[in-house]
Amino acid sequence: MSRTNPDSREARAQLGARDTYMNLAQRPTATRPGAGVPRRAFLRGLAGVTIGLPILGYMLNDHGDAYAGGEPIPTRFGLWFAGNGMHMGQFTPSVGADWQLPADGSLAPLVALKDYVSVVTGMSVLTPRHPHHSGMSAVCSGGPHLKVADVRDTIVSTFKYPSVDQIAANYFLTESATPPSYRSLEAAVTRFRGTDEGTSFQYLSHNGSVAGESNVNPSEESPHAFWDRLFNQGTAEPLVRKARASVLNSVGDQIQALEGKLGAKDKQRLDQHLTSISELESRLSAPLADCQQPADPGEFPDIDSNEVVVEKNVVMSDLMALALACGLTRAFSIQYSTCGSGAVFWMVGATDGHHYLNHTEAAPYGVGAAIARFNLEQLAYFLNKLRDTTEGSGNLLEHSSILVCTEHSEGWTHSQDDMPMLICGKGSGRLKGNVHYRGNGDNTSRALLTALRGAGLPLAEFGYEAGYTNAPITELEV
Amino acid sequence: MRAPAVAAGVLLATVCSGCYRGIDAGQAEGDSNVGEVTGGGDDSGSGDTGEGPPEATIEPGAPTMHRLTQPQLHNTYLSLLGEPLTLPTDLPTDDLLYGFTSISAAGATISSLDAEKYETAAYAVLEQVWSDPVRRAAVVGCEPAAASDPCVAEFLAAFAHKAWRRPVTTAEVDALVGLVDSITSDLADVSSALKFGAASVLQSPNFLFRVEIGVAADDRPGLLRYTSWEMASRLSYLILDAPPDAELFALAEADALTERDAIELQAQRLVDDARARPALVGFFRDFMNLRKLDTLDRSVEMFPQMSATLGPSMRAELERMFEATVFDESGDFRSLFTTPDSYLNEDLAKVYGIAGIVGPELRPYAFTEGSHRAGILTSAGFLAVNANKTQTSPTHRGRFVRIQLLCQDVPPPPDGVDTTLPAPDPNLPPQTLRQRLEIHRENPACSGCHDKMDPIGFALENYDAIGAYRVVDELGLPIDSVTEIEGTPVAGPLEMTEVIAALPDAAACIARRFYEHGGGHLAASGEEDAVQHVIEEFVTSDYDFQSLVVALVTNDGFRYASPEVGL
Repeated sequence: MSRTNPDSREARAQLGARDTYMNLAQRPTATRPGAGVPRRAFLRGLAGVTIGLPILGYMLNDHGDAYAGGEPIPTRFGLWFAGNGMHMGQFTPSVGADWQLPADGSLAPLVALKDYVSVVTGMSVLTPRHPHHSGMSAVCSGGPHLKVADVRDTIVSTFKYPSVDQIAANYFLTESATPPSYRSLEAAVTRFRGTDEGTSFQYLSHNGSVAGESNVNPSEESPHAFWDRLFNQGTAEPLVRKARASVLNSVGDQIQALEGKLGAKDKQRLDQHLTSISELESRLSAPLADCQQPADPGEFPDIDSNEVVVEKNVVMSDLMALALACGLTRAFSIQYSTCGSGAVFWMVGATDGHHYLNHTEAAPYGVGAAIARFNLEQLAYFLNKLRDTTEGSGNLLEHSSILVCTEHSEGWTHSQDDMPMLICGKGSGRLKGNVHYRGNGDNTSRALLTALRGAGLPLAEFGYEAGYTNAPITELEV
Repeated sequence: MRAPAVAAGVLLATVCSGCYRGIDAGQAEGDSNVGEVTGGGDDSGSGDTGEGPPEATIEPGAPTMHRLTQPQLHNTYLSLLGEPLTLPTDLPTDDLLYGFTSISAAGATISSLDAEKYETAAYAVLEQVWSDPVRRAAVVGCEPAAASDPCVAEFLAAFAHKAWRRPVTTAEVDALVGLVDSITSDLADVSSALKFGAASVLQSPNFLFRVEIGVAADDRPGLLRYTSWEMASRLSYLILDAPPDAELFALAEADALTERDAIELQAQRLVDDARARPALVGFFRDFMNLRKLDTLDRSVEMFPQMSATLGPSMRAELERMFEATVFDESGDFRSLFTTPDSYLNEDLAKVYGIAGIVGPELRPYAFTEGSHRAGILTSAGFLAVNANKTQTSPTHRGRFVRIQLLCQDVPPPPDGVDTTLPAPDPNLPPQTLRQRLEIHRENPACSGCHDKMDPIGFALENYDAIGAYRVVDELGLPIDSVTEIEGTPVAGPLEMTEVIAALPDAAACIARRFYEHGGGHLAASGEEDAVQHVIEEFVTSDYDFQSLVVALVTNDGFRYASPEVGL
C-alpha cells in the first residue's frame, strides 16, 4: 500500500473547509424523541445546550442544499445490524409504494418515518451457505464468508471482503478534499454474547481477510469510551499534536521495515496496522473538529443481571448522530446486536439468550416476534434522532443512506431466503423511501448496491463471487 | 498409556459416524482436517516408544506475529518503566479464537481503534515517568542538553532493545534519534522530545507484537528454528506473560537458547517465578471458558443467590483450585476432577449452602462427604457457565465436557432438523427436562451425538442453573441423575466425575490444548507426532502440570517452525 505524504495532508487540511464547522452552543436544544419509554436521561445537565448541529444557514447556498462554496452537504452511509433475523409474518408489509403493516406489524415503530424507509424482502443469500456465517458476510459485505477452520462442532469464519461501511468510507476519502477526522466509526449497543466462531460472530465492520487473519474495525461498546474518544480529546497543543503525528510517521517506517521480513499473512496484518497508524496520523495533522461536547454518559452496568439495552441505545445513537452531524465521520456502523447474538431481551419477556431462544421457543414464536419489534424500536430511536437533526434545509436522515440487515430470515428456521432488509434515509435525494420491493430469490447484494448508490457511490455493480450483482433496485431510486 | 486414548478415539469415530455433519457450503470448501483438529487419533502407526523426541518429520506451524495480550502488555510496560505504574485499562480487547486469547492474538491485526488505544496507553504510562524528574532520570539515565548528546542515542538504543526484546540496528536507532531531534526543534525541550522517542518505541509493531521470523534449522532441513531471541520471548511470555528477564536476555545475547537442555533449565526456572501463577491460570481460564462468568446473567427471581459479584467469585474459585493443584499440591491435573478442596467466599457459600463464611475473600474449604461436591465438574462456575439463564442444559454441559475437556468431536445438529424441544403437553403429567430430552434418544438423527453429550449432563442434573445442589427440579419433580458414561453405570455426579477423570482423553486433551495455546494455533495434522509426544511426557510425569510446561517448550513443535506456504 502507499502512504500519503503527511505534508500534503497537512497542507490540504489547512486549506480545507474545516473552519466552516463551529461551536453551536447558542443553538436551541434539540428535542429528544422516544418519550414514553423509561430512559436514563442522557446528556443530563445539558439543558439549553444542543448536542451539535454544525451546519448553519449562512454557510449554505440559497437553497440550503449545499455549502455556499458549492460543496454539497455530504451524504453519510451507515450499516445497522441486529442479529438473529426477524419474524417475517409480522415484518413483511404490503408490496409497492406506501407500504402498509401486516397484523401486529413489527415495522410499526418505523411507520412515522416511513417516508425515509424502504423495505426489501424476498432476497436470498447466493454465496455458499453455512448457518449464520454466510448470511452475515452476504448482507454486510456482498461476498462469501471466509472459513478459517472447521472446529469442534462448527466453523470459524471471517469476512473475505470488506463490509459495505468500509466500501463507503474508502470512497468518501477519494471524494472529499478534506477527509473527516474518522474514516469510519463503529459502535455497539448490546454486548457480545455470541459463540466463539470467529469475527463473523463478534464484529460487524470488517476490512476483508486474505489469509484468515482477523481484520476488523471493533465496535466500541462502552458509552464512556466512545464519548471519550470522540468528544473529550481536549485542546492539545498544536506542537504536541505535530509531535504525535511525527511519532506515528516513524512507527509507519518501522512497520514498512518489518513487513519486508514477514510471510504473506503477517504482512497483511501489518498492512492494516500501517493503515490504522496513517489514519491516526492524518487526524492529528488536521485541525480538531469543533464539536459541541456532550456530558460524559458514563457506563451502563447491568441492573439485576439484566443488560440495560434501551438506555445504552439512546446514548450510542445520540453520540453517533452527533459525530455524523459535526462531521467527525461520514461512514459508520452500529452493531446493535451480533450475528447469533446471545443478548437477553428481558424487557419483552425473554428469559434466555436470543439465539438460544430462537432454537428453543415453540411456534408461534411470540417472544421472538416481540424481540424483532423491540429491536426495530431501537432502530427507530436512532433514525428519529437523525431526522430531528436539522441540516441545511433538510435533516441528517435525508442526507444518509443506511442499510439495515440481519444474517438470516427467521431464527427458528435459520433460513437465508427471504432476507429482511431496510434501506433508510433519502441519500440526499437519491432514494425514494416508503417503497417495499419484494424480490424473488434475488441476490441480497442488490440491496447493498442500492444502499451504496444511495450514498452517492457511482457503482453499477457490486458484490463478489456468487454475491456479484449489476442490478440495483431501481424501484427504490429516484 | 497411549493405547486407550487411541481406542477412545476410534470408538468415538464409530459412534459419530452415525452423526450427520451438515452438508453445506462449509463442507464444499473441503474440510479435510476435522479429525486432526479435534484429535480423532488417526496416527496410531507412529511414535509408540515414548522415548526421546520423535525424529519423524513434523510440520510445525509457521512463524507468527503474536499481538501482546493485555496482561502481557501490562507486564512489558512494567518491566520498562518500573513501579509504581497505573496501567491503562482501555486497551484493545483480547478476543477468543478456538477458546484461546493466545490463538486470537496470533491472527489479530491492529485496527484504527486499537492504534488509538495503544497510542493513548503509551503516553499514559510514559507521562507517569516523565512528569517525575527523578523517575525520568532513572529511566533515561542522563539529562541531555541536546538531541546530539550521545546519551540520547544510548537511551533510545537501550530502551528499544529492551522493549523490542531483540538487538536493534544502527539504522533503527538513527531513525529514533532523528525523530527526537526534529521534535526537539519544535518543542525546544529535549527531555520532552525523548518521551516522544520512547512513544515511538512503544507503538512499534516490534513492541506490540511478539515478532517471530525464524532462521533455517541446520539440524532439520526444510524447517526453521526460532532464534534465541525469539525463544527467550516464547518462553517468557508463555510461562510468565512477561518479557524476558536479564538472564534470558543474556542467554539470547549469547545465542544459548537453541539447545533443548538450556531451554529446559530456563523453563524450570520460570515456572518457579511468582508470575507463572497468573499466566498459567490464564490458560486454564480459557480452557474452561471462565471469562464468561464475569458477565454471568441469571434470573434474580429464580436464584436469590445471584449478585453482580457471584460470577467473578465462581471464576476465582476455579482459578484458585487450578493454581493450588499446579503450584501448591500434588500437581496431578486429574485430581482437579475429584478434589474435595476448594476456595469459598460468602457469594459461593450461599450457592453451596454452607453457613459461616462471610465476606468477599476466598478461603480454603474442604467439602465433606455429604456435600455432593468434588472437583471442577461439580463447581458452581462450571455448572453455571454451561447452563441457561433460567434452567440447566444437560446437552450444553455434556457438550462442553466432550468437546472442550476431552477434545472429542461432536458434530453440529443436522441441517433442517428442528432443534426446538417440543413444548410440554398440558394434557400429560409434567416432565423433567431429562424426560423431555428423551426425544434425542428416539430420533436416530439426534441420538448418535446426544448419546455422547446428554448422559454427562443428566448426571449433573442435581445442580441447577447456578450450580446449587437439588433433588427436585423447578417443577418439584425428582431428579434422576443415574446414567451411563462410556459403558460404565454411574449413580449421580460424583461417580460420573471419577469416570471422566480416569479417561485418557481428559489428560490428553489439556496437553493438546496447552500445545495449541503455546503455539498460538490449532495443532495441524503435521504436528500430531509432536502433540502425542507432549501427551506422553505429561502422562509419564504423573500428569504434573509443571512438567507439561517443560515438555511443551522442549518439544520440537515449539522450537521449530515451518516456512509459510504461499497464499
